[in-house]
Amino acid sequence: MMEWVTLLLNSLWAAIPAVGFGMIFNVPRSALPLCAVGGAFTYGFREVLMHHHLSIELSTFIAATAIGIIGVFWSRAYVMPRPVYTVPSIIPIIPGTYAYEMMISLVSMNTDGVTDALLSSFIQNGLHAVSILFAIAFGLVLPSMYYTKRQKPII
Amino acid sequence: MKKGFPTISKEEQTRITTVVVRVAAMLLEYGAESRLIEQLSSRLGVALGCTSIEISLIPSAIVLTTLIGDSSVTTTRRAHEQPINMSIVHQIVTICIAAEKNPRDIMMVETKLANIHSNAYPAWLIVPMIGLSCAAFSHLQGADWAGFCITFLAASVGMMVRRALSSRNYSLLIVFAFTAFVCTMIASLSFYQGLSATGSIVLSSSVLLLVPGFPYINSMLDAFKGYISMGWGRWTQATLLTLMSSLGIMLAMGLLDIKGW
Repeated sequence: MMEWVTLLLNSLWAAIPAVGFGMIFNVPRSALPLCAVGGAFTYGFREVLMHHHLSIELSTFIAATAIGIIGVFWSRAYVMPRPVYTVPSIIPIIPGTYAYEMMISLVSMNTDGVTDALLSSFIQNGLHAVSILFAIAFGLVLPSMYYTKRQKPII
Repeated sequence: MKKGFPTISKEEQTRITTVVVRVAAMLLEYGAESRLIEQLSSRLGVALGCTSIEISLIPSAIVLTTLIGDSSVTTTRRAHEQPINMSIVHQIVTICIAAEKNPRDIMMVETKLANIHSNAYPAWLIVPMIGLSCAAFSHLQGADWAGFCITFLAASVGMMVRRALSSRNYSLLIVFAFTAFVCTMIASLSFYQGLSATGSIVLSSSVLLLVPGFPYINSMLDAFKGYISMGWGRWTQATLLTLMSSLGIMLAMGLLDIKGW
């Protein structure tokens, strides 16, 4: 029970970056609530999957695919290009910390000399960051690849 | 005279071409994906009376041909770098759908295009919101409340710097590097007398407002849908932005000599 409350709270926290980045990308005002819902859903869904012992890459991929499919329906209903909803929604699951750690270990390798610990931290974090990024991008692309088979556009 | 296309003169075709290429160039500047650019401009062209539209895209320019029967008009436009604005893209989609409902009405399309507004969010709303976003990131990563407040401060100031520099028309690369520098400088407050126990999380969250999410996603979407050169161009742009932000972070860390990780 307690776990579900934490999950819900964290999802609400994740909705804030989705709205904030939506503002940076200047999405129309009417789309902001759906961006918040999308961000909360994506983050929460990934947490649930990871709780069931899936790897972080696989859960990210599934969550991104899910928001990609939901984005198709929203985009049809509100006549809006799909990235308006999908890109702010995946912002909360972007691997910023991994990329940052990778860069830090690169810099300290330069200043303090290469050690095994730094090298393994560099490779590990870098691989995580790149594979999560690809999982997000591929997950978002997959639904629209299905729709490009048909001649009729989504909106 | 060709059967089916009796009424469009060369002058009218030139006028149609100007409108369509303007739409395409705006879509490219404000960050729409390539398939959307191609689909929208060819739908608009057909609605205005063309037989078909052929379009060639590179990241910095657009070449567009309108075909009416046998006569064709070709034109090129340079795309200038603009901040991403989904509101404008949405308005163009609306105009295109309206044009399909009333075909051959070029006057309506021209007036509507002239009335597009950027719908920017006011500074008093966007600055605290971005601060709160980055603070929420730090909270999700497990920072303490002191770290939360420092992240909020750093990201808000960073957003102000970014807006100020952007409005003075500096190159996006310079803006990103300088913003990252300022963010890291303020975020390193957390190491001052052990103000926050989770300093490295604060440092990494406060620069997250510089994640180039749209260029990365757009580049992948383009590459997967067959626009390889556009995909490469946008990927390079996003990577350059990331590298410049890392440069700003490294500069600030070198100046302050942070040893906290």
